[in-house]
Amino acid sequence: MNKTISLTVNGVERTAEVEPRLTLLDLVREHFGLTGAKLGCDVQVCGACTLLVNGKPISACSMLALDADGCDVLTIEGLSKHNKLHPVQEAFVEFGALQCGYCTSGFILTTKALLDEIPHPSEQQIRDYLAGNFCRCGCYQEIIQAVKNVRSEA
Amino acid sequence: MRNFEYLEPTTVAEACALLKQNGGEAKIFAGGAHLTILMKQGLYQPRALINIKKIPGLKGIHCNDAGLSIGALVTHRELETSALVRDKLPVLCDAEREVANIRVRHMGTVGGNLASGEPLTDLSQIFIALDGRVKIAGPIGDRIVPVEELFIDFYTTILADDEIITEVMLPLLPKKSGIEYLRFSSSSVVDKPAAGVAVRLTLEPGSEIIQLARVVLGCVGATPVRAQKAEESLTGRRITLELAAEAGKTASQECDPISDLRGSAEYKRAIVGTLVKRAAIKAYERAVRN
Repeated sequence: MNKTISLTVNGVERTAEVEPRLTLLDLVREHFGLTGAKLGCDVQVCGACTLLVNGKPISACSMLALDADGCDVLTIEGLSKHNKLHPVQEAFVEFGALQCGYCTSGFILTTKALLDEIPHPSEQQIRDYLAGNFCRCGCYQEIIQAVKNVRSEA
Repeated sequence: MRNFEYLEPTTVAEACALLKQNGGEAKIFAGGAHLTILMKQGLYQPRALINIKKIPGLKGIHCNDAGLSIGALVTHRELETSALVRDKLPVLCDAEREVANIRVRHMGTVGGNLASGEPLTDLSQIFIALDGRVKIAGPIGDRIVPVEELFIDFYTTILADDEIITEVMLPLLPKKSGIEYLRFSSSSVVDKPAAGVAVRLTLEPGSEIIQLARVVLGCVGATPVRAQKAEESLTGRRITLELAAEAGKTASQECDPISDLRGSAEYKRAIVGTLVKRAAIKAYERAVRN
């Protein structure tokens, strides 16, 4: 019944033997020990479990691990390079765009996907793209400010 | 989630055969946006999932003489961002901007959206207003059915246990036509709509008289429904604010909403009336211009 899948996680090729019912979130958290993405609502509403699959944000709580076979998966742990935070992470720190941090990895990854697609988004585009990520501490104003002020990587 | 067998056919015929073998105990798996939630909640416990994403030919959006063809595996996000759709039927791109959230739009597919029979959704109203049809593949070949006839009840469609939606076919709007889709969410923008209304109007050639009207109401009944009395009230007339308001009022009596966390039945009827009024005026403005 188990199946073997191969995928790239944060640039590293991995294989795993998984039950069909295993979610991608459980795969990265339980099998690979990457616990940055969190389980929140479990119904694709809150965004705490956001991962980027082939560059696109998805709810890992509701994606089967099998469905990520052959895919390129990015988790929050793969964002910083050589001990240096990614510019989106820098901006979130600079603008205090978090309190408890539970939603933060989802917000940061969604922001990365947004900026990869639209390098200079308008505030409305930011609000539209991030509308499906919830912050229960209510840091929305700071998050918008942070996203507007991400420095380019160059 | 209960475990299941994961099957990966490479042709539609093979997928239909697998469905038949499993005699109603298997589910087609495309984006999974809808299915995985119901499986986690234990509402569906299929013996097998049949992943159709490895079947070639179910992706892509094409335009031909008959109109726009949308493959069953096209995602909401692809519809939203397609230059072809933006050019031919921009109402779909505009509607998609408000469907769920960016993650669901990346995962969920057009075919899955229809096949789920989920009543709290958007696309089916627009497809029906455009006189769209679905292509359904089964063990003995394809059949083509108006989207209007696809839905039977809550989460129930005419699809047999061994059938798969493979394509949505949308005729392009004739000259002097306009369409508008309006939805209303009572909690947050990313919530499912409390009501979603499509109005499409086509004018008589060389005049401003409405020749054909489609008023389609969604989320306010077990299935999307055409408000035929409202359509009749618009047909043969020129639009005025009063006429649009009257059509809205008529439409609000042609649906069967339930009271739930998104609003009482009475409230939803009032919303339907307002949305139909506004959509009719917008559709008319577009029809006059085009």
